[in-house]
Amino acid sequence: MKVWQKVLATAAVAGVALSLGACGNGSDKDSSADKSGSKKTVLKVTTWNYATTPEFAALFKAFEKEHPNVDVQQVDVPADDYDTKVTTMMSSGDTTDILTMKNLLSYSNYALRDQLVDLSSHVKDIDQGPAADTYKMYKVKGKTYAQPYRTDFWVLYYNKKLFDAAGIDYPDNWTWDDYVTNAKKLTDASKGQYGTYQHIWRSTIQAIAAAQNDKNLMDPSSYEFMKPYYERALDLQKSKAQMTYGTAKSTKVTYNSQFEESKAAMLYMGTWFMGGLVNDTNSGQTNVEWSIAPMPQKSSNGKTTTFGSPTGFAINKNSKNKKIAQEFLDFCSGEKGAKVMAKIGITPSYRNDAVNKIYFATKGMPTDDVAKKAFNPDKIAVEFPVAKDGPAVDKILQEEHDLIMVGDETPSKAISNMQSRVKEELK
Amino acid sequence: MKRAQHSHFIMQVTSTDEKISKQKHRLQRKNTLIAYSFIAPNFLGFFIFTLIPVVFSFVLAFMSWDSFSTPKFVGLDNFSKMIHDTTFWISFKNTFLYTIGVVPFTLLISLGLAILLNKKLAGVKFFRTAFFFPYVTSLVAIAVVWNMLFHPTMGPINQFLRMFIANPPGWTTSSQWALTAIVIVSIWRFMGYYMILYLAGLQSIPKELYEAASMDGANKWQQFKNVTLPSLRPTTFFVTIMLVINCFKIFDLVQVMTDGGPGRATNVLVYEIYNEAFVKFNFGYASAIAFVLFVIVLGVTIIQFGWNKRQEKA
Repeated sequence: MKVWQKVLATAAVAGVALSLGACGNGSDKDSSADKSGSKKTVLKVTTWNYATTPEFAALFKAFEKEHPNVDVQQVDVPADDYDTKVTTMMSSGDTTDILTMKNLLSYSNYALRDQLVDLSSHVKDIDQGPAADTYKMYKVKGKTYAQPYRTDFWVLYYNKKLFDAAGIDYPDNWTWDDYVTNAKKLTDASKGQYGTYQHIWRSTIQAIAAAQNDKNLMDPSSYEFMKPYYERALDLQKSKAQMTYGTAKSTKVTYNSQFEESKAAMLYMGTWFMGGLVNDTNSGQTNVEWSIAPMPQKSSNGKTTTFGSPTGFAINKNSKNKKIAQEFLDFCSGEKGAKVMAKIGITPSYRNDAVNKIYFATKGMPTDDVAKKAFNPDKIAVEFPVAKDGPAVDKILQEEHDLIMVGDETPSKAISNMQSRVKEELK
Repeated sequence: MKRAQHSHFIMQVTSTDEKISKQKHRLQRKNTLIAYSFIAPNFLGFFIFTLIPVVFSFVLAFMSWDSFSTPKFVGLDNFSKMIHDTTFWISFKNTFLYTIGVVPFTLLISLGLAILLNKKLAGVKFFRTAFFFPYVTSLVAIAVVWNMLFHPTMGPINQFLRMFIANPPGWTTSSQWALTAIVIVSIWRFMGYYMILYLAGLQSIPKELYEAASMDGANKWQQFKNVTLPSLRPTTFFVTIMLVINCFKIFDLVQVMTDGGPGRATNVLVYEIYNEAFVKFNFGYASAIAFVLFVIVLGVTIIQFGWNKRQEKA
C-alpha cells in the first residue's frame, strides 16, 4: 500500500467506527419507564435558560398533571446561542418534538425552509379567542406553523417616586410630545438622573414608528415615517434627558439596571420586564416603586397602538410524537396555559378577563387602572414581519439605526440609505 | 571445486542478504505503522474537523445553500454577487486598513520591548510577564475595559486628550475612529506575544558577534543594525507571517467591541462571513467570501516567502 492509501484506509475504518458509535447512541428513547413500570411518552421541547425562564417548568408541570402518561423534557440551550443551536439541530435532522420559537425572525427561517409541521387547518378549528391577533403574526404565505403562548408588547414603565419628587402627574394617554417634555423635566443632571432610558435596539424607534403609522418594515419604498421618532430621540440625547446611544452601547448598559436603580425615571420596554421587576422586587434586588402606562402615541385620540411579538411552540416535522405534541401546543396556547403563565407574571397571548385578573393579582404587580389599560392595548402591531429576507433587512436597519443614534448620519441621510440598501437586498 | 565452493558461498551470502533486507523491510514497515498509529489520533481529528469542512466549504462556494435544503450548484454566481456587494467591499477595505495599521506597529513595539527587556535589570521578569499578560487575558474582559477607556466623554483616554485638544475622537462610537480603536487594542494585545518570540530570537544571537563587532569599533547603533537585525531575520519573517495571517483573521475583537459598527465601520471579512452564514443563512455566499479570504492570505504569504528568499541570498 502506498502511504496515501494507508491514510485513506485508516480514515475509512475510523469513520465507520465512529458512525457505528453514533448509531449506538442514536437510538432515541421515545419512552421512559416510571416507578410503576408503565411506559411514559417522552415529549422533548427546546428551551433556553430553563432554570431562569420560569414559564417552561410551569407549563411542563401543568401539562404533565393533565397527561400523567407524558413526560415533558427540556432540551436546554443558553439563550444567546439558541437560534444558532436550533438551526444546527434542524439541519442535522434532529427529532426533538417541539421547537420553541424565540422570535419571529428565526420562526420565519424554519417555517419558510420547511422544517415545521403546517398547522393551518388545525388552528382554524380551535378556539383562538383573545389570542387571535397573535395567531395572525404567525401567518406566512397564508399558512401557520406555530401556536403562540406568550405575546409581549411594549409599554411605558415609570418610577413613581421620581415622578412624585418632580411633581409630575403619572403618565396617561400621553403623546410623544408629552413624553419628551416630561422626560426633560424629570432629568436631574446633578444626581446623574435621566428622564428616560431608550435601549439600543432598533425596534425602540423603528418598530413603534411602523406600528403607529401602519407601515411594513420590509417595504423599502419609504422609511420617512421614522423621521420624527428619530428626531425626538436625538433631541432627548442632546438635552441629556436620556443616556447617549454610544454610552449605552459601548458600556453594554442593561435596561434593568437603569430602571431598577432609579437612574432613569421612565423606560419603554416589553411586558416581559414586568415579571422581571416583580421577581427582582421579591428577591430584594430593587425597591423601585413602579407602574406601567400605554406607549406614548402619535396623537391623543385615546386609542393605544403598540408593537409586540409572539413566542410560540411549533412541531418539528421530524417529530415521532406529533399527536401529543399538538395537544401540548393547544394546552399552552389556550386558556389553561394562559392561567399558568399569568400566575408567574408572564404575558400570555390568550388574555381574557379571568386571565388578566390572575395576572394583576400577583404580588408586586401594579393595580391602577392605567396599568390595566396599558395591558390591553387597542392594537399590537407585529414587531417585524415574517419574511425570507428578514434577517438581512433587519441587519441593514440596525446598522443605519446605529449611525443615526451616534450622530454620524442625519436621519434623512440614513433613511435614504435604508431605502436604497433594502431595495438592493430585496432585488 | 574451488569454483563451486565459491559460487556456493556467494549463494549463501545473497540468501542472508535477502534475509537481512527482508527483515529490514519488515522492521521498517513495523516502524512506519507504529509511527502512523502515533499520528493517527491527531490526524483523524484534523481529517474530520478540519480537512473535510475545508473541502466542503470550498465546494459550497459554488453553491447556494441555506443549511436546510439541498445545496444547489450555481457556478460562479456567488463570486459575481460579491463584485457588486458594497458590504463585502467595505469589509474588504476595513480588513486591509486594519492589517496595515496593526502589523508595522506591533512589529516595532514588540521588537523594542524585547530589546529593552533583554537586559539584566532588576524586575525584568516582572515586566516580561506584565507585557505578556494582555495576550492571556480573557477577550471579553479586554473589550469591556477598553470600551470604558475609550468612552467618549467619561473615558480616561479622552479626559487626557482634552487637555490638548478640544474635541477628542469618539472612538468606538464614531464611524471614523472605531477601526483605529480596534487597531490600538489589537496592538496592545498582540505585542506581548511577539515580544516573547523576539526575546527568544535575541537570546539565540551568539555573544561573540557583539564582542567582535565592538572590537572592530562598532557603536551600539551599528551593532544593532549590522548584528542584531540580520540575526533576527528568521524571527522577523516568522512574526510578520503570523501577524499578517492573524490580522486577516480578525473577528473576535470586532464582535465583542463594536459588533461591526457603528454602521459598517468595523465590518471585517471574517465578521462578514459570519453574518452571511449565521445571520442571513447564505452559507454558499459565506463560503465564497471565505475562499477569497483564503486566496488573499495565501497570496500575501507566498509574496513574503519570496521576499525572504531574496533577502537570504543578498
